Amino acid sequence: MTDVPFLKARSIGKQFGAVTALAGVDVDIRRGEVLALLGDNGAGKSTFVKVLAGAHRPTSGTLEIEGAPVELASPQDAAAAGIATIYQELALSENLSVAENVYLGRESVRRILGVPILKRAEMRRRVDELLAELDAHIPDPDLPVGGLSGGQRQAVAICRALNLDARLVIMDEPTAALAVAETRKVLSLVRNLAGRGCAVVLVSHNIADVFEVANRMVVFRRGAKIAERRRDETTPEEIVAFITGAHPSLRSLEHLG
Amino acid sequence: MMAATTSTTAKLVLLLVLFAGILASFALYEPRFLQPSLASTVLQFASMLALVALGQTLIVLAGGAGIDLSVGGMVSLSAILTMMAMSAGVPEAVFPLVPVVIGALLGAVNGVLVTKIRILPLIATLGTLFVFGGLAMALTGGASLSGVPQWLVPFGRGNLGGVPWHVLVLVVPAYLAVAGMLTFTPWGRWFYAMGHNERAARLVGIDVDRIRFLAYVLSGALSGLAALVSLAWFGSGRPNIGQNLELESLAAVLLGGVAIFGGAGGVLGVLVAVLMIVTLKTGLQFINVSAVWQVGIVGALLLLVLLVDLIPIRRRS
Repeated sequence: MTDVPFLKARSIGKQFGAVTALAGVDVDIRRGEVLALLGDNGAGKSTFVKVLAGAHRPTSGTLEIEGAPVELASPQDAAAAGIATIYQELALSENLSVAENVYLGRESVRRILGVPILKRAEMRRRVDELLAELDAHIPDPDLPVGGLSGGQRQAVAICRALNLDARLVIMDEPTAALAVAETRKVLSLVRNLAGRGCAVVLVSHNIADVFEVANRMVVFRRGAKIAERRRDETTPEEIVAFITGAHPSLRSLEHLG
Repeated sequence: MMAATTSTTAKLVLLLVLFAGILASFALYEPRFLQPSLASTVLQFASMLALVALGQTLIVLAGGAGIDLSVGGMVSLSAILTMMAMSAGVPEAVFPLVPVVIGALLGAVNGVLVTKIRILPLIATLGTLFVFGGLAMALTGGASLSGVPQWLVPFGRGNLGGVPWHVLVLVVPAYLAVAGMLTFTPWGRWFYAMGHNERAARLVGIDVDRIRFLAYVLSGALSGLAALVSLAWFGSGRPNIGQNLELESLAAVLLGGVAIFGGAGGVLGVLVAVLMIVTLKTGLQFINVSAVWQVGIVGALLLLVLLVDLIPIRRRS
């Protein structure tokens, strides 16, 4: 890895009053790579993701995007910096079609006498292309999202992020509520996303999913980053040991703490 | 998420069947009912309700428990304040604009109460219904205010080929504009998105509060247009002219297939429902059923349609 990482987080800390949610977190996020964030509930991974998404301002530390320092004060700042977050609830409107959801809030229009008129055909064509690129198995961009399966909805949300020209896509538990076949589909979508040169951050509880798709893993525990491993240099057992705090390297730390 | 009810098209078909049934019943009971002037009469009486129901449609569609109970009060108060503005020396040339501007300002009061102070729409607009309606009564002591410019009266009473001028000039363009907005512009997509899933709409960056505020302003402006129709029609401002419009407009919106929780429906169904309600009332008057019963019968019709609409959900669950 000689190139500059897309995003560099250095000693990120976040206090909520007297509670320390994050302390001294260093993470590099690279293009074309799937980075998994693991940890027990309350370990700090969600807080870290919210810092990246612009939803929380860190109390300390710095963020750099492509070598330049950035302040992500709001979700709009994060979006402008090329960071898209796909929330667990997906933020889709079930009564609208796939294409309408992908473009919702930033529709392409032509102005006729100053009145913005939707360019339906163009939007449909673009969404059709994106769906084909992702191999998303949604036959028609005019289908209402309300009739789609959980995995197909994930694909719509991913299309939305791609259409925003996101360079970093954060996915929060994308497989949490899915059946087995659907999970496989979503994991292959995640890989396709990284294959297009996107940086992907995946928050997941599911070790098997993570090992299938992630290139690197970062484990959080009690607000700190306690381990970082490449997939080919670790095992599910080791990662689980880190998450639960049973790993030998943590014993001394825990006793000290 | 609420379960999708019968599709918009199915609702429209149901409505048209009901409408045809009503026409047929009256025709059987009293064949003279189906005279050529019937359409003209219905349109004349439907104009105010149609304008008010259009605003109500937008507010209900935008979700967030949106409802505008104050439309009747806004119509009455716009009419009264317009007449008072005239006697205070506002030039006659701008007369048609005055009630619209006043209505929009009254609608903005609702918009502020709902989107800034965050009072539940049902409560906020119930309050303003009493404030606006009460003010119209208090300012006039219950009496009508005369002094509508003579040149406006043909607009309120005349017609072109049987279609009243105010229907041609106000109702038809207003419905076309809103239908076009809902179908062809991003605004329409945002109305449906926020009406169905407000949180998702906010997450994708739609300015939900601004759109909702504008819906209340628009509802006020349309109530102002209804006030203009009443002024041109009767030649005077009546402090109770908007009475019952809140319930009738809500009935038209629901009969017209707009989901009460927002996010589904369209203006065509509402227009058909308005015509149906007015036809029903006209027919009841024609066969000498008292006006007291008319309100009750409209209410029963509303319940009937909502029940039919619920059948598919009950079957599924």
